[in-house]
Amino acid sequence: MATAPAGVSTSARGVVSSKAELSKPQLSKGMLRLPWASRRRASSRRLVLVASSPSTPPNISEKVVESIKKAEETCAEDAASGECAAAWDEVEELSAAASHARDKIKASDPLEEYCKDNPETDECRTYED
Amino acid sequence: MATCAVYTTPSLHSCSITSPAKNSLGFHQRKVIFFTSRRITKRGGRSTSEVTCSAEAKTVVIGLAADSGCGKSTFMRRLTSVFGGAAEPPKGGNPDSNTLISDTTTVICLDDYHSLDRTGRKENGVTALDPRANNFDLMYDQVKALKDGVAVDKPIYNHVTGLLDPPELIRPPKILVIEGLHPMFDPRVRELLDFSIYLDISDEVKFAWKIQRDMAERGHSLESIKASIEARKPDFDAYIDPQKQHADAVIEVLPTQLIPGDNEGKVLRVRLIMKEGLKHFSPVYLFDEGSTISWIPCGRKLTCSYPGIKFAYAPDTYYSNEVSVLEMDGQFDRLDELIYVESHLSNLSTKFYGEVTQQMLKHSDFPGSNNGTGLFQTIVGLKIRDLYEQIVAERAAAVAEAAKV
Repeated sequence: MATAPAGVSTSARGVVSSKAELSKPQLSKGMLRLPWASRRRASSRRLVLVASSPSTPPNISEKVVESIKKAEETCAEDAASGECAAAWDEVEELSAAASHARDKIKASDPLEEYCKDNPETDECRTYED
Repeated sequence: MATCAVYTTPSLHSCSITSPAKNSLGFHQRKVIFFTSRRITKRGGRSTSEVTCSAEAKTVVIGLAADSGCGKSTFMRRLTSVFGGAAEPPKGGNPDSNTLISDTTTVICLDDYHSLDRTGRKENGVTALDPRANNFDLMYDQVKALKDGVAVDKPIYNHVTGLLDPPELIRPPKILVIEGLHPMFDPRVRELLDFSIYLDISDEVKFAWKIQRDMAERGHSLESIKASIEARKPDFDAYIDPQKQHADAVIEVLPTQLIPGDNEGKVLRVRLIMKEGLKHFSPVYLFDEGSTISWIPCGRKLTCSYPGIKFAYAPDTYYSNEVSVLEMDGQFDRLDELIYVESHLSNLSTKFYGEVTQQMLKHSDFPGSNNGTGLFQTIVGLKIRDLYEQIVAERAAAVAEAAKV
């Protein structure tokens, strides 16, 4: 639970500025008291060089947001229906996909990727003896 | 890859043919001994095409069941690492393929057997957990075919788009692992499994893990995560949870008992529930098989930091099966703690002293590497390797017997 919220890290990377507007203060409710999810963000933006968790690729991220909205709408009508369960199941599936995408980005090393496909090039030669 | 990865003809009982000349892979392939009940090798002048089929032709099938987001892929990476080699998605294929292939192992995600894609499930109001969203006939046919050494065209379920993509070719490997929500749901598929594992995560831990995973995600909040878990719970309890009674090994993850009131899910209590009386599987034990042991390794010989480590071992009954339960509560934070614990466990099926520690260290960046989840996953991986070797040895002996006759 020590990962920085995406809002802080992505604003430092200058991706979509609208992300910064999303109310991350929600996190400070209840049992998660994250000290950085506060007003300080606005003033310290230029000083933020957070070693953040990798961000999800934007298309998957969009899908997750949409699916959560849809699920909340569907369940507002009828919380016990199969449609409601299916909607939240979709959220779960997309969140898992997002998490895998994040892991893949974290794990990929451009040189390794290149060498996997082109092992005979000079940069990728290995000597084992 | 697999030696018998060429073709099979329907007339063959359960083997594949390879003619020694056509060796496109360029290295020495083991000869494959042909073994059918009809013995057509002895007929006529066909003996020149050295058609042989080995004991390796039949794949060993392992089933792994767990809810999504519960560490299956970590388990897979540990398992394939025990066998050697890294498992990767098939090269040149669909980039969103869920399959992992290494030299000896192929891991198939059972989500590929969804009969309804995401839109279909939404229309029908079913979750992916519901058996109605899965094609068990196709699952059974394909797993059976792979087990018998026949390559199959397996559909791909794309988790990003939610659609069923065109199929990919899967060649029969030495070890086939089917991971997903329903490996043990269908009784026919259950029969095909040589070993089955169920990852049972308790609700509190699941909630903590999902928070860790999803809080960094824009759009998610505590409420949405909670709602998501609760909406899926009825289907989960009805369809997925009952599979644990059929599993040969259950890894149960619970909140720790060492820290009162802990709800962060960082320190875990993990129980490895192993079925007794299985043919190729001998449960891991502590000190004395069949007795009840409680062990805290921290003391004079070993210093541990807070909260320490606690082990327990006892025989038990689990859903009316005889089982042995090995339990670990707490965390490792030093190498010598790990090796100390390993030296006191018995029946680990390691090939050398310190193999468990070595495997854990190799993947120290994987989640769970400092607690019972990583430890027991590694141990189960070694047990599966042992099971595989026993089955292969048995089949080789059977073939030798039959050849003598």
